[in-house]
Amino acid sequence: MENPLHHFEIHPIVHLSLMGFDISISKAVIAMWVGLSIVFGLFMLVVKSGVRLIPGKLQIVAEISLGFIKDMVEEFIGEKEAPKYFPFIATIFFFVLACNLIGMIPGSYTITSQLVVTGVFATGIFILTLFIGFAKHGLHFFGILVPPGVPKIMIPIMIPIEIISMIARPVSLSVRLFANMTAGHTILYVLFGLAMSTPLMIGWLPFGFTVAINGLEIAIAFIQAYIFTILTCVYIGDVIHLH
Amino acid sequence: MPQFEQVEVFHSLIFWSLISFAILFFLLKRFAFPPILEVLEERENKIRSEIGDAEKLRQEAEGLKADLGRELKNAHEKAQTIIQMAGDESKKIQEKSIQETQVKVRQMQNDAEQEIQITRNKLLNEIRSYTAALTMASTEKVIKKSLSDDDKKRLIDESIEEVLREMESRGV
Repeated sequence: MENPLHHFEIHPIVHLSLMGFDISISKAVIAMWVGLSIVFGLFMLVVKSGVRLIPGKLQIVAEISLGFIKDMVEEFIGEKEAPKYFPFIATIFFFVLACNLIGMIPGSYTITSQLVVTGVFATGIFILTLFIGFAKHGLHFFGILVPPGVPKIMIPIMIPIEIISMIARPVSLSVRLFANMTAGHTILYVLFGLAMSTPLMIGWLPFGFTVAINGLEIAIAFIQAYIFTILTCVYIGDVIHLH
Repeated sequence: MPQFEQVEVFHSLIFWSLISFAILFFLLKRFAFPPILEVLEERENKIRSEIGDAEKLRQEAEGLKADLGRELKNAHEKAQTIIQMAGDESKKIQEKSIQETQVKVRQMQNDAEQEIQITRNKLLNEIRSYTAALTMASTEKVIKKSLSDDDKKRLIDESIEEVLREMESRGV
């Protein structure tokens, strides 16, 4: 049987380079573009067909998804600050969701199964939270390292712990998404391999599993996009409100 | 694992994912989110204002209902008073007209009685003079001789008295 991780390999299709860096376009990039185009296309379909007070079916879907993210942003970041962060948070949700879902099409690629991609986004969000924190609170932002109600004697211990927990945030954020996407696709690949390499008498069993796991994977695509988004909200909310 | 080993594609993945994210962010923020969020807000405001309006209308309707009830009660009371007054007035008019009629009837009765009395007296006088003449004539004829004036008078008076008694006994 082939290496189940083989399909995560990336082979450049169009070779490009910018200032000495290789920025070749690969299947992963094209799949991402297709996913993002579908997201933008659907939104434009809603907008171009006229956004009405009494909505059509597609408009209801768009409204529900945006309303859902809006509620989430308002809950964790606060109603006053929410409009400022809403477009960014909503774009993160639709970006992750589109990349997760487009990978479910056989022969396509899930760019979120690349740790380097999820890592860049998680690090970017982490740096953004630091930036917001310092811009909002100045040097008081260091107060985030001391949870309220901690005895003074505990502070020297608490600060390193809090620093570690802060740094763990982008790590866990990126690894969670990457691991979920990689694991799901690997399991699917292994089960397909089993289904193909065993006689039909036994082979229908792993094949049946692939059908079930496919459904589960679609659910996971949504859940992971949701988790990634909600944690982004929580992190931004934390640095705005400081405990 | 290729995700850790294929270091050469990292630049391309980071570059394109960030660029794509930035473009998607710009496009969605510029074209997609505002109209949809606007309509969400518009609907929310519309629902809120319509609920407010409905509440206001309900309160107004309740006020109107109370006013109408009060006015109806007033009108009822007024009507009752008018009916009462009309009843009193009609009773007064009735009593007055009965009184007037009674007075009139009494007057008419008195007039009639007076007239009867006058007529009776006139009749009696006429009878008296008639009877006197008759008695005189008849007495003259009966006794065929003249009587003295005193006899004449006595006879006349007797005759008159007789006639009167006769008349009274007959109930004239």
